[in-house]
Amino acid sequence: MSGPTNSDHVIDRSSEPVFELRSISHAYGRNKVIFGVNLSVWPGEVVGLVGDNGAGKSTLLKIFAGYQPPTEGALRFMGKDVRFASPAEARAVGIEAVYQDLAIVDQLSLWRNFFLGKEIVRPFGPLKVLDRQRMRSEAEAAVAALGLTRIRSADETVSTLSGGERQSVAITRAMHFGAKLLLLDEPTAALSVRETRNVLHSIDRARAHGLGVLYVDHNMSHVLPVADRIVLLELGRVVRVLDRDEVSIEELQDLVAASAKRLES
Amino acid sequence: MDSRPNPAPSPAAAATPRQRRRKSWAESLLGVRELPPGIGLVAVVLFFSLQTGNFWSPQTMTAISTVASTITIVSVGVTMLMISGEFDLSVGQNFAFTPIVWAILFVGNDVNEWLALVLALACSAGVGLVNGLVTTVFGIPSFITTLGMFFVLEGINNLLISGHQLIMFDPRASMEFLGGRIATTPFYMPLIWMFAIAAAFAFVLARLRYGNWTLATGGKVGPAKAMGVPTRRVKRRNFVLCALFAGLAGCMQFAYIKGVTQGQGQNYELLAITAAVLGGTSLFGGSGTIWGSVIGAFLLATIQIGLVLIGVPGSFYVTFIGVMLVIVVIANVRLGRFGGSQT
Repeated sequence: MSGPTNSDHVIDRSSEPVFELRSISHAYGRNKVIFGVNLSVWPGEVVGLVGDNGAGKSTLLKIFAGYQPPTEGALRFMGKDVRFASPAEARAVGIEAVYQDLAIVDQLSLWRNFFLGKEIVRPFGPLKVLDRQRMRSEAEAAVAALGLTRIRSADETVSTLSGGERQSVAITRAMHFGAKLLLLDEPTAALSVRETRNVLHSIDRARAHGLGVLYVDHNMSHVLPVADRIVLLELGRVVRVLDRDEVSIEELQDLVAASAKRLES
Repeated sequence: MDSRPNPAPSPAAAATPRQRRRKSWAESLLGVRELPPGIGLVAVVLFFSLQTGNFWSPQTMTAISTVASTITIVSVGVTMLMISGEFDLSVGQNFAFTPIVWAILFVGNDVNEWLALVLALACSAGVGLVNGLVTTVFGIPSFITTLGMFFVLEGINNLLISGHQLIMFDPRASMEFLGGRIATTPFYMPLIWMFAIAAAFAFVLARLRYGNWTLATGGKVGPAKAMGVPTRRVKRRNFVLCALFAGLAGCMQFAYIKGVTQGQGQNYELLAITAAVLGGTSLFGGSGTIWGSVIGAFLLATIQIGLVLIGVPGSFYVTFIGVMLVIVVIANVRLGRFGGSQT
């Protein structure tokens, strides 16, 4: 069985990007960490944001997710200037961050997790009660493609799910609720090969569904299998943007090695 | 817009969850979290029925049901709070504080009895609000916040009745309403209140959005927050709820025995937690059931009264409870039952 591929994938970059950073700079106090970064993610595109520790990946991710506005530059979401005061505002427009350890509440059943914070309710006298039947079937239908083997129904708790499955569920959930942009922070860290492949499949599905995906990782080889474009970040600056079709894996790896060498010297 | 074929599904995806959904009745029965404490309660009842001739007498039933009712009502609030991941050690003191306030207002100061009741309950809810605010705003363990509140209330109770006993010789309508006898039965009003409150909160936990948020908040606060659950507000509300029920149960106790001392509710903070834990509520938050706590409270009450019936000194029962609590928790941890489902 082949893993996810991206060779026959065409992205229309003449349209508006889902999300765009325009000459973003950011400083923590007097400590400037991001210097004039331009970065766009188009619908149906997986952008790998790669760089060493301290390159500014997490700062950019926080800016994407609405945790902090940049000190300089503009953010554009679906062609409009935006400014997020909180992650909740970013979520509200369809920017969904999936963190490995923040994906799932172990003790809850699958459907309770899937609809957490977005529960479907129906009127019951003066009250609004959970529409359990509907949430069960919708959750089951949504995760059917994931091939979860450890649980048999949406009523079971997710405590038995593996780290990869949790993230796949979280990614599926984001798609289900109409996310436009998915932010992934080292989603395959500490996962087995098989697990990693499952998470990559979920990312693939999100892309096929037309979502933009920002995949942040310090390791080039993690993002290589799925990324359409790879943005190499070094000390707060974009040093290379590589189209997946234009370079070979060997070249990419050479680039990373060269970058690492530059940093050491 | 996308011509790329979908990735091949993994083989396990072939069987849809829907086809495998049905569970056998035995499986579903084993999944019922109230089952183990229920079996425990049946065993204890059988034991005392066989050991004593008068277990099923009206007097015994009255005694067990009234003890269980007030512990249950306190325990419902404590269970909700524990599921949301916090504790309240001040409920026992609140159980005395609220009826003391109520009694002082309407007996000592001629405030309308119903108004006095509302004011007293507002005081108990206020105690919960302080517990909740201090815990969530300063981010300290509720164990400490409510231990502090325990001492604060103990001092206030001391100040309010300084060791005396408040007794009402002519029960008023409000007292009949909360703690009077149910006509033609050996039972008292707290039993009805207890079932109503337990049923309401079993419903809240399983069927309302608030129940889902309570479970998620106590289960893992990070993801809950990330999914947009207002976790601090959920905790604060459960603190208020917990304190309110402790005060209400205290007022029922006062109405039932027609008097109150500072000692009322002694150990109740621990008995309520014990009832919840015996009923299968996790000490770590995120799972538990209301009916489990009801069964746990009846277990405590049955043992308390049953031991007296077979001639064991009444005060010895807490020793027995202590041993049982530890055994049940060991069994739950061993069987991995903490963290079970709430569907």
